[in-house]
Amino acid sequence: MITNKIDINIFKNKIFLMLFMLSSSYLYAAEGGPCKDYGECDVFKYSLNDIESLQRGASTYINYCYGCHSLQYSRWGRVAEDLKIPEDIFFENLVFDKSIKPGDLMIGAMPEDSANWFGVAPPDLTLVSRYKGDDWIYTYLRAYYEDSSKQYGVNNLVYPGTAMPNVLLSLQGNQKLVCKNIPVIARNGGEKRDELGKTITKEKCGFLEVEEGTGQLSKEEFDSLIYDLTNFLVYIGEPSKAARERIGWYVVFYFLIFTALSSLLYREYHKDYNK
Amino acid sequence: MAEIATKLFSWLNKRLPIVNTFERHLSKHPVPSKVNFWYLFGALAAVTLIIQIVTGIWLIMPYSNTEEQAFSSIEYIMRDVDYGWVIRYMHTTGASLFFAVVYLHMFRGLLYGSYQKPKELVWIFGCTIYLAMMAEGFLGYVLPYGQMSYWGAQVIISLFGAIPYIGESLELWVRGDYYISGITVSRFFALHVVALPLVLIALVFLHLVALHEVGAGNPEGVDIEKYLDDDGVPLDSVPFFPYKVLNALVAIGVFMTVFSIIMFFFPEGGGYFIEMANFQEANPLVTPDHIAPVWYYAPFYTMLRAIPDPLGGLIVMASAVAIFFIVPWLDRSKVASIRYKGIYSKIAITLFGVSFLTLGYLGTVGVTEIRKTMSVICTVIYFAYFLLMPIYSKYETTKEVPERL
Repeated sequence: MITNKIDINIFKNKIFLMLFMLSSSYLYAAEGGPCKDYGECDVFKYSLNDIESLQRGASTYINYCYGCHSLQYSRWGRVAEDLKIPEDIFFENLVFDKSIKPGDLMIGAMPEDSANWFGVAPPDLTLVSRYKGDDWIYTYLRAYYEDSSKQYGVNNLVYPGTAMPNVLLSLQGNQKLVCKNIPVIARNGGEKRDELGKTITKEKCGFLEVEEGTGQLSKEEFDSLIYDLTNFLVYIGEPSKAARERIGWYVVFYFLIFTALSSLLYREYHKDYNK
Repeated sequence: MAEIATKLFSWLNKRLPIVNTFERHLSKHPVPSKVNFWYLFGALAAVTLIIQIVTGIWLIMPYSNTEEQAFSSIEYIMRDVDYGWVIRYMHTTGASLFFAVVYLHMFRGLLYGSYQKPKELVWIFGCTIYLAMMAEGFLGYVLPYGQMSYWGAQVIISLFGAIPYIGESLELWVRGDYYISGITVSRFFALHVVALPLVLIALVFLHLVALHEVGAGNPEGVDIEKYLDDDGVPLDSVPFFPYKVLNALVAIGVFMTVFSIIMFFFPEGGGYFIEMANFQEANPLVTPDHIAPVWYYAPFYTMLRAIPDPLGGLIVMASAVAIFFIVPWLDRSKVASIRYKGIYSKIAITLFGVSFLTLGYLGTVGVTEIRKTMSVICTVIYFAYFLLMPIYSKYETTKEVPERL
């Protein structure tokens, strides 16, 4: 009798466990992502060995962002050194305050009253790539759209109600939220067609589109500018990241050899008692 | 030259038990000749402890335990200290892997009955080490003074407030202030770098001394002391040095390979080893969207959240850890190893493992109604594994244990 009861309990437990697994994976997928109204964040793949990209990113950052956003844990000289920019050229072209020395922290030219302008003090961005993630930055900076109800006339799909105006508007041009007719996808994965072979479409909204001729850069050029900027922020978030990933290969290689040699030695000794 | 060395050594040996200790605990210490990979995690835990102590010492040098500088001193270590990032990532990776190997080590204990007579004390010292580790890990997590440090500490310290009568004063006493501040950071620093490491080292010493007194177990649950050779050495044993040391060396090689892959390529462990929100300095005015503990506390955090009443949650969470201490007296089985135990024990330990992992997963995600129900059910299974053990381990059919390994 006892065994039967326990068997039933085990059976019940098993069903419960299966239910857990199913419901947990389902719920996980249903959770809202970090890029909010934009949907899935665009994927960003950093390339810290592309020094030119980092140099362009640094230049964009210092020209467009540094006025408000400090990089308080980073030092000027370190950036010049890591980005392989000769110090004289670096200080000549990128450092506007001539009293700054290479060892100084990049604590910014942020005016005291910027908090009054924007409602919040612009945050320091040294570690933004680490707490927000590079995908998020890359998507956020490209997700501004025209919204006359907002203070600066723009809003953002990734960060609705963001306090930051679109500083790069003149480069990107006027981006709007538009509706489009998109083909309906049939169950077999192809486009759905009516009897005459015409593609069936459905209106869907929420697409970002730049008004032609309003920006100085094309879409590709602008995306590449944001790529370089995000790449720079990944670098500044962890300046030793490139070195870390380079040295890592040697260390892993060392321990593989270590494991191989120690297991040979172990096998040799193992013969003593396990013939 | 050689003569002087011999003389010096003999001088030393007459005053310090060098040869005796070496023979007793290494070259003549008998260990079972056949064990499996589960028996290697203890050595790995020891390696990790050493890594934590050494990297910890070097981290103390540039770290600043003040409210104003705690967070920025970590960034100083990451940027301005030569190879500071190596030391810091070793310490953060080491913390997570310490828990990983200790969890596997503990699970080994449950699998093969490593707590059974006469190893009760070894087990209890081990449980106490785990308890000290939990405190040590929590204190250490507060030190970088990021958002998760702050809010995690807020949640954990407020638990003390749930204790009746003395709760509020206790909370204040632990925190040292009316809210978490530089005072909390500096006292946690003292506890993290001096008090608890001393306790840990002492406990590890006792754990090992007790283990060497009663002898190591094996996956068969065979008592190797039954068959001895003429010198009184168990027939199914080999000397710890060099055989088991070499075995451990291979394990250390594999472990360090995994360690370096994580440390050099995935130091944040996908947000599980270093949480993303902890790259933002502590801000008492902004609560993070979702406060999650690091993965190694997640199962217990889930239990805490599963109970609506704070005191009830605290009791359940504390019992979940405390119950490990009485396992030697819960297991009524005639055999030690899961290999010879009956079907109920096998099912029970499987369900326990699955519920522990599910609880861990649930602790790292947000709460929904279904997840809450799941948490309660998993908590029940977790406790049922222990509380029903006296019944299912006693009334099941076990297989016969062989005489020899």
